[in-house]
Amino acid sequence: MGRARIDIRTIVPLALLAVLVFGVPLLSADRYLLKVLTFVGVNVIIVTGMALLFGYAGQVSLGHAAFYGIGAYTSAYVVTSLGWPWLAGVAAAIVLTSVGGLLLALPSLRLKGHYLAMATLGFGEIMRVVFVEARGLTGGPDGFSGIPFPSLVGISIDSAGGNYWLIWGVVTVVLAFSANLVRSRVGRAMRALHGSESGALACGIDLTGLKVRVFVISAALAGLAGALYAHVVGFISPSTFSLHVSVLLVAMAVLGGTRSLAGPVLAAILLTTIPFADAVIPGLSRSALETIQEWQEDVYGLTIIAVMIFVPGGLAGALRRISALGRRAG
Amino acid sequence: MSYEPRIVLSVEGVHAGYGHVSVVRGIDLRVAEGELVTLIGANGAGKSTLLKTIVGLVSPTAGTIHFLEQDITRMRPDRAVRAGLALVPEGRMLFGPMTVEENLELGAHARDRSDSAEDLKRVFDLFPVLQERRSQTAATLSGGEQQMLAVARALMARPRLLLLDEPSLGLAPKVIKEIFAALDRLKAEGLTILLVEQDARLALKHADRGYVMRTGSIALAGNAADLLADDDVRLIYLGAWHGEGESS
Repeated sequence: MGRARIDIRTIVPLALLAVLVFGVPLLSADRYLLKVLTFVGVNVIIVTGMALLFGYAGQVSLGHAAFYGIGAYTSAYVVTSLGWPWLAGVAAAIVLTSVGGLLLALPSLRLKGHYLAMATLGFGEIMRVVFVEARGLTGGPDGFSGIPFPSLVGISIDSAGGNYWLIWGVVTVVLAFSANLVRSRVGRAMRALHGSESGALACGIDLTGLKVRVFVISAALAGLAGALYAHVVGFISPSTFSLHVSVLLVAMAVLGGTRSLAGPVLAAILLTTIPFADAVIPGLSRSALETIQEWQEDVYGLTIIAVMIFVPGGLAGALRRISALGRRAG
Repeated sequence: MSYEPRIVLSVEGVHAGYGHVSVVRGIDLRVAEGELVTLIGANGAGKSTLLKTIVGLVSPTAGTIHFLEQDITRMRPDRAVRAGLALVPEGRMLFGPMTVEENLELGAHARDRSDSAEDLKRVFDLFPVLQERRSQTAATLSGGEQQMLAVARALMARPRLLLLDEPSLGLAPKVIKEIFAALDRLKAEGLTILLVEQDARLALKHADRGYVMRTGSIALAGNAADLLADDDVRLIYLGAWHGEGESS
């Protein structure tokens, strides 16, 4: 991997984000709000991986919910059934999803575009069946319950605020790592890969190695998110890791725009919050929320279509235009 | 010449193609150190395929390719770049949304080193317009500037052998002149160059030696000046056929 550079453009937005994000539990004791935002953080971690894979390296995966699931079940199993410490569960989830990502990436590298998407779709469906049928490990269709809260140095993190801080702490680390990665030599090669594969080959970029590495990183991030989710929620079931979730993750990456981390992160926040709109909009009536939840898929679909039509380049494109306007005004 | 110049590239009996279609049928070709060798011929003669086979983008079905005594037959393209071959691909294959400078830095990718400032200076000296445009994206450049960037990007890899695929394609005569002046300068500095061109007259004027390809084989080979004067070459490649090739 290339050397990571610390850049002022990375530090300032991250510091602002950190202050804003970490202040929430001090301002509000609303457990529901904190839980929703914790869930948002989990999705931000997965979507960051999708942004690297899709937005920077130009690879499509319709199987990332499976890595999310593998991470969740791995950590749930080794911590709950085998009694490993929580951190070891997280490590096991990352290792297993990295290996899974490597195994899926190697044959998939011969494929491009739609065919790669189909291969990852197949992987996702295979894993969904495994989650349902491997009852001894996963609890089958009834799900896996009684997963303990995360604990560090023997102290259980069982409050809504504690979990919120834990997840967003990880989000910060993941975003800092990814921001450095895309600015590094490897990140430049990733953007080149998206721009022109034959150009990248002419530059002597090892396409195979690069694609495998990005695939493994994105799978590991989904696995990490899964391990966090399982312990924060305490219960997991196969429906959480279905094709529907994979599609939603791709939608977040597409909506966010390419060659950007901020865009997909915003998209993840937006789309994850829609079904829980009452947590962020005080006074939203029960019936209005139910309508939103019933029409959730349509709201997603319409949002994506609207963005495609009115905001070319996704949220990242909009962010670039706003910052260009700011530069001109300043 | 009293000494035998070192052979940089040696292609022996190479066959290559796509699936069942054989495009290159038994090519022997040599490029010595410091030479500018051109490969000319009509559309579909197999020039580009041979170039792609040399850099590893197409796998040969038979034959061997040696580069500075190293067997590079079927070597992966990224390894070939590391070994010292740099290709300026047909159609340039630049990274449109990235800046001129980023494109150039990607050219130095295979070297794994961060001393690209010196190389940047060198290519900006060769093509000053690129320095003016260094923070513009490649997509905003004119066709000629893009071709200059493609050549400059390949030079960033510090190649021992520069391979160019149709650098004059679709460019105005004035720009073509500039690019060939740059090639002359690179050759004068000692760089070894293999140039694939459809504009045979132009290529032979700048080259030391030439190979004429026809339907996958070498039809003629010799000194560039002799080829320019050769009746067959004049009739077939520098005459009416040349004009036809341009339009297709």
